[in-house]
Amino acid sequence: MGSPATGRHTATDEARGTRADATEIVGSSRSAHEPVWRRWLPWGLLVLGALVMLGLQSQLYSGQERTVSAIFMFVALAQGWNIIGGFTGYASFGQVVFFGLGGYFTAVAMSHWGLNFWVSLAASGVVAALFGVLIGLPLLRLKGHYFAIATLGVAEGMREVVNNVPGLTGGGAGISIPTVGNQATTHYLGNDGFYLLYLVLALLAVAVGMLVSRNKFGFALRAIHQDEDAAAAVGINTTRAKVAAFALSGLLTGLVGSTYAFQQVTIFPERLFDVDITVLMVVMVVIGGSGTVLGPLLGAVALQYLSEWLRQNFTEVHTFILGGIIIAAVILLPQGAVNYVREARQSGEWSLLANVRRYRL
Amino acid sequence: MSSAPVLETKGLGRRFGGLKAVDDVSFSVPEGEVLGVIGPNGAGKSTFINLVTGHIKPTSGHVLIEGQDMTGAKPWAIAHAGVARTFQIVKPFRGMSVRENVAVGILYGRKGVARMSQALEQADEVLKEVGLGSLGDRAPGGLSVADARRLEFAKALALRPRLLLLDEVMAGLRHSEIEPSLELIKELKSRGLTIIVVEHVMKAILAISDQVLVLHQGKVLTSGDPRTVLSDPRVIEAYLGQRYVQRRERGES
Repeated sequence: MGSPATGRHTATDEARGTRADATEIVGSSRSAHEPVWRRWLPWGLLVLGALVMLGLQSQLYSGQERTVSAIFMFVALAQGWNIIGGFTGYASFGQVVFFGLGGYFTAVAMSHWGLNFWVSLAASGVVAALFGVLIGLPLLRLKGHYFAIATLGVAEGMREVVNNVPGLTGGGAGISIPTVGNQATTHYLGNDGFYLLYLVLALLAVAVGMLVSRNKFGFALRAIHQDEDAAAAVGINTTRAKVAAFALSGLLTGLVGSTYAFQQVTIFPERLFDVDITVLMVVMVVIGGSGTVLGPLLGAVALQYLSEWLRQNFTEVHTFILGGIIIAAVILLPQGAVNYVREARQSGEWSLLANVRRYRL
Repeated sequence: MSSAPVLETKGLGRRFGGLKAVDDVSFSVPEGEVLGVIGPNGAGKSTFINLVTGHIKPTSGHVLIEGQDMTGAKPWAIAHAGVARTFQIVKPFRGMSVRENVAVGILYGRKGVARMSQALEQADEVLKEVGLGSLGDRAPGGLSVADARRLEFAKALALRPRLLLLDEVMAGLRHSEIEPSLELIKELKSRGLTIIVVEHVMKAILAISDQVLVLHQGKVLTSGDPRTVLSDPRVIEAYLGQRYVQRRERGES
């Protein structure tokens, strides 16, 4: 079962021309004869977590409830980003385009076309996934920085498109979803309703991450992350796998955007396509541990909670402090908290200073 | 012997700008034979392999696999057609165990394996075959040079190929480490696998090849029986330069 894998080794990374003296970890090493309880443990924990969160709801004030809802929202967003950026290794810096697209599709569908929220939510996910296929086909031919910049461009471009068709989207003045009166297609969900909906989305995203991390498709993505030529040589249709990963990641992000739009009632292009949202997803995944399921979960919870706490206690300098903490975390734990703990447990080396040295280029 | 050769190339070529890395290469490999491909550095050997496996698209000519025209097909289509390869610079999937590295090839390269647990069991058999039976749980980065090359072998064999392309699997190995590789290739050949071996280690080429193809500046210099080819003055000249040939002739006379 679990492997007391290797000690340290020296790896020369030919592709990037960098030298990393790093302890290699074997993510989910397992033999064919893994005990059943271990296989089901993460799912058990997920169900337990869901039950605790359902119980917690009645104990919270409405302000706290909104804070926890926002944490759920970012858990779902971070898990979505992790599928393309973490497992597959394609850092999408325009991920917010799916968020905005989902949000605007929902707003337009509910206010112009009279669709109810639940139909709009599902359709927004599908639209975001299809958009992922559409832009994935050309953009996923690019690697590294080029992919990051191209996706960033798509998100910025989409914001301008939304800004420039006011007849449909309300343009810069925003668009409002009718929530009262006979124009309202779905009754506003309220604090409790959105808490539950974000909880469901977070659970869905974590469950998708858990499935992907262990199934056939996930192994294809991890192979692509390591070496696309080698992945293709063993029969993986790399184009199809990458596009599917981008679409799946877009689907989850689009669902969250749709929910966010309904929660906000009135939405604006500046907020729905805000690059800050992408940056938060990336930072949460990287700090928590990219390419793992637990990493983005912990990263999202920790960062969103911390951000809220700082905002309440150090209102004037909270972004300054948060930025400092993020910088310190990235310097000390460049591989992310979850990967750091895994490596340290295998090598017995817990020193943060040694960790910094190991990953220094 | 079946009608069509396992691999046939017709006028295969690839230009990079003004450079013809591979130029008008035509030959065929009959089923069950081992073809050695040699040539000095830069002769186009790796490009040739990449043209056959679809990692580089040819600019001229054709690649036929078991009679089917697969020119310009994607690497995964070539893999599904029964062609597996190793890479000169080993390309393990890091972050996965040795066993999982092989299991990925079983999942995607073999038909009818859909579940990871099934693939992991079959991976152990492949690892045993190449002599990595006890290292399945290890991380690929912790392997010795020889074991890393064995893993490349195992990843290719995971596909149960009909044709195996080995790109310098013995480079950098000690003499004692080359022997097991040769044994493995002979064993695979005895099972009817067709193999193309790109190699600098002449001892290895002589020991296992039925035919040898010599590439020089992208073109076929000569081909045929290994001993005849390796004693051909043109081949020696291509490898060691004209002055060496002249000196040797003077020395012999």
